[in-house]
Amino acid sequence: MLITSALISGLGLGSMYGLLALGFYVTYAVSSTVNFAQGSSMMLGAVFAYTFAVTLGWPFWSAAMLALALCALYGVIVEWIAVRPFVRRGSNAWLMATVALGIVADNLVLFTFGKEPRGFVLPWATGSTQVLGVGVSPLQAVIPAIGLGLAAAMHLVSRRTRLGSALLAVVQNPDAARLVGINVPVAISAAFAVSTVFAGAAGILIAPLFNVHSDMGTVFGLKAFAVAILGGITSAWGVMLAGLLFGVVEALTTSLLGSAYTQIVTFSLVIVALAIAPNGIFGRAAVKKV
Amino acid sequence: MRLAPFFALAALFAAALAFTAVANSYYVFVMATLALMAITGMGLNVLLGLTGQVSFGHVAFYALGAYGVAVLTTAAKMSFWVALPLAVLLAALTGALLALPALRVRGPYLAMVTIAFGFIVEHVAVEWRGVTGGQNGIMGIPSPAWFGYSFGERGVALAAIMVAAAVLLGCWRLSNSNWGAAMRAVKDSETAAEAIGLNPVAVKTVAFTLSAACAGLAGALFAPLSGFVTPSTFTFSQSILFVLVVVIGGAGTVTGPLAGAALVVLLPEVLAGLAEYRLLFFGALLLAVLWIAPEGVVGEIARFLGRRRAAAPPRPEREAPPVRPASAVALRVEDLTIAFGGVKAATGVAFSATPASVTSLIGPNGAGKTTVLNMLGGFYRPDAGTIRLGEQALERLPAWRIARAGLARTYQTSQLFGSLSVLDNLVIAQARGRLGRAALPREEREARAEALLAFVGYRADMHARASDLPHVDRRHVEIARALATSPSVLLLDEPAAGLAREDKQRLARLLRRIADAGLAVVLVEHDMSVVMGISDHVVVLDAGTPIARGAPAAVQEDPAVKKAYLGEDHGRPVAHRVASGDLGDNLLDVLALRAGYGAEPVLKGIDFDVRGREMVAVLGANGAGKSTLMRALSGLHRPVQGAIAFDGADLSRLPAHKVVAHGIVLVPEGRQVFPELSVLDNLKLGAFLRKQVPAEEIERMLERFPRLRERLHQRAGLLSGGEQQMLAIARGLMAKPRLLLLDEPSLGLAPQVINDLFAALDRLRAEEATILLVDQMAGLALALADRAYVIDGGAIVASGSAAQIAAAGALEKAYLGAV
Repeated sequence: MLITSALISGLGLGSMYGLLALGFYVTYAVSSTVNFAQGSSMMLGAVFAYTFAVTLGWPFWSAAMLALALCALYGVIVEWIAVRPFVRRGSNAWLMATVALGIVADNLVLFTFGKEPRGFVLPWATGSTQVLGVGVSPLQAVIPAIGLGLAAAMHLVSRRTRLGSALLAVVQNPDAARLVGINVPVAISAAFAVSTVFAGAAGILIAPLFNVHSDMGTVFGLKAFAVAILGGITSAWGVMLAGLLFGVVEALTTSLLGSAYTQIVTFSLVIVALAIAPNGIFGRAAVKKV
Repeated sequence: MRLAPFFALAALFAAALAFTAVANSYYVFVMATLALMAITGMGLNVLLGLTGQVSFGHVAFYALGAYGVAVLTTAAKMSFWVALPLAVLLAALTGALLALPALRVRGPYLAMVTIAFGFIVEHVAVEWRGVTGGQNGIMGIPSPAWFGYSFGERGVALAAIMVAAAVLLGCWRLSNSNWGAAMRAVKDSETAAEAIGLNPVAVKTVAFTLSAACAGLAGALFAPLSGFVTPSTFTFSQSILFVLVVVIGGAGTVTGPLAGAALVVLLPEVLAGLAEYRLLFFGALLLAVLWIAPEGVVGEIARFLGRRRAAAPPRPEREAPPVRPASAVALRVEDLTIAFGGVKAATGVAFSATPASVTSLIGPNGAGKTTVLNMLGGFYRPDAGTIRLGEQALERLPAWRIARAGLARTYQTSQLFGSLSVLDNLVIAQARGRLGRAALPREEREARAEALLAFVGYRADMHARASDLPHVDRRHVEIARALATSPSVLLLDEPAAGLAREDKQRLARLLRRIADAGLAVVLVEHDMSVVMGISDHVVVLDAGTPIARGAPAAVQEDPAVKKAYLGEDHGRPVAHRVASGDLGDNLLDVLALRAGYGAEPVLKGIDFDVRGREMVAVLGANGAGKSTLMRALSGLHRPVQGAIAFDGADLSRLPAHKVVAHGIVLVPEGRQVFPELSVLDNLKLGAFLRKQVPAEEIERMLERFPRLRERLHQRAGLLSGGEQQMLAIARGLMAKPRLLLLDEPSLGLAPQVINDLFAALDRLRAEEATILLVDQMAGLALALADRAYVIDGGAIVASGSAAQIAAAGALEKAYLGAV
């Protein structure tokens, strides 16, 4: 019973890690850079949604859509401010710059939103049904469904739409992409927007479970980064799979050993995994040239 | 060493001590915090600033030091003076252990490992209640005592300041030592560091351990200072603050972390009312520093002051070439073979390089010459074959061991240690990787470096930063640095690339002198005048296999060599396809086009034109500028000077995606398909800018290139070379170009495939497409083209109808050098 319940919640959280990690994958594949403070994007999604849905009382779905639109805008801002100037210079400082921008965002929210965590209650998400003898809340079913659904949508979009093809082309061969008329800098900004939308969506989905506050994204984002790296940060399906695995392992550790050891075990596994496979479990090393 | 900063710092520390001795307990705590931040920051600077490795988890070592002292002085009742070194040792050992997995990875991966470690330590502190006291931590940590005198908070603060001064001194000595230079070298170019005999893993591990020890030391002092330790002090954001201290102050400078710590600790005191906002402020400050002043406060000041220093050219006492090979051994290469993912880059390469000789490796583009050098230098491990230097087998050794055995090399793009001065580049190379006690005192090493610089002809400032040097000087300094390791063999990869004529001749004479001094010189070079002028022995590679070897004159006459470079002479009559009256107006007009990388332009003022419905060939040897020309026309290479007039519009300032919109489409060198997409998707992407693509067009394209039809839904990366080339051309045609540019379409293709390819181009010609073709297969290109230009050294040296160019000797001269 305990295992089943752990599996279910693990899949749910794991799909959220996977969503955030997909965001890392998209930007890394297109530009070899990431928004290291992806957790802040997740937090912003939840905060925006809360502000529109609870503070202003708008209907949930319009609040969520507007929140995601603002997240997309934030993604473009991150790329313009914290990534592009450094890539242009050929420097790696984007790693620290995105962290700095994340700190700024977290603290701005802290001072406007307040220090108190706010509960985000969704009326349709309360109550529970029995599945395999275990009590499951609707949210625990909806989260993995939406998470995997978004991942599948991304897969479809990338193959059926013009923007999707453009992003795929830039990932596989940036020069050739330019030569068919694709505007690569715009594609990179779009990739960052997509990644923050995913993060924001994950934030909105877990807000009812974890409460909304300015710090909610930090650890989540770091774990998602670990997931992205383990999944090989060069493979979209690897990343999603790694997310699900990570979530399940975390949930199982919590139910078997108690929540105390969860962080220790999961982060130790990350270090061990990277020691064994420096390019991630699913990734491939590029051929070096000199 | 300049004395002024030394005295200023001494005065600063004295003032700090005096202030702490009399201030009230609040300010005592502030000063102590400043000192501890500075100590941690200086340690992290060794890792982040000197060695260039990022760590977001250093709070873990700080915690280890603090908890170490706390546990040992309370539970184990040890004296502080015993507990301190033990705690520091704990932090250092943990750092060394973590370095093992951490340093196999780099960049974001390394950041992840350090973050994970930070979290692990924080949570272990919470969970291991028996030892660490859990969330409540450990209280009542006794103050250190010395002969009955209890330090108290003030005493610890004073001690911390003195320790900070000691650490500063240590960091200053490290920065100026061999180890410091080695760390900077590894940061600037790990490849070049290995090539001078440094073991990057060892260097990075030492840096990691030192930085962990410093953080541990600061933590060990923190414990008695605050009297208690709890896990809530050692959070992730503390690690970020440490990074902040280093970056704001100036990563890589000695006093930077001191300034950074002062800013981070004192600024909130000054802006007391805004203390709540300090994290927000620091985040914004970090961003601002990264944008505007990436070298940090101290770094920018140092750079500003550095500009005023007078230049110091080398002035050696000796004039004789100071090159002495360690021992006279020959390099023997046998049956060297390597394949990358199914593509054979080199097969059965064999040659000998004897002392006091120049052996040149030549061959057309893609022949595998740099791959061979990379195998010799240890950058790649060959799949088969042996490399012997005298008696020693090198083929399985890592690059740094090969360098220590006496093999030195230079690179196609110079890999100097940019942040070191020219002189320091050579001084660190002399150590040949052994960083312990130097064999010679520093003055002697510097004198030897000066003599080497003079020998290679470097006449500019010795203390200039290597990254500021112009192209020619970079080449010379790189050669001098290679010589500084006292090698027996010197490998050079296209050293003449990008040099003007006189500089090339000077370089050739230099290489000859190096060989005459007793070294075995192995040279990969495109410029035939250099190669033929100084070589004793020439080896010709084509598609990875040796096809000829011998004295330069013999190789020049070898028909196999000529065929490899110039292609088959098909003997077909070259006929004008199009009568002049049928030609369109000038479609493309290029005027005074200049383009280049760095100081020396690759294209030095090209004028040519292409008329509608014409096929024009551009021929020339490698390094002549053909590819640069194509990249410049297509918009991939920007900026360029001059004009590219296409049907009335000047495209010289437009980026590639806008050039495509005007109707110029480039089929780039090396096919460049989208490997994970299907053939069909590749074709559709070709029409990216066109809104509607009727299915009949794709059908017509498949009729033109029938081989693609069978593979329509396969991943493009799995196609053969020839099929990929067809696909790339088809993709280009899908955009309905008004001018099609083809860059080396025959490269790497089998002869039969090349014939099919040129047949397809012939059909395009017949359909009155306008084509500009660059190819090494000069014979075939001339058989198809109406007109041709020959480029040599970035300028057009011959132009005319295809028949005229085929007849004259201009081609052979350009490709193989004057006979």
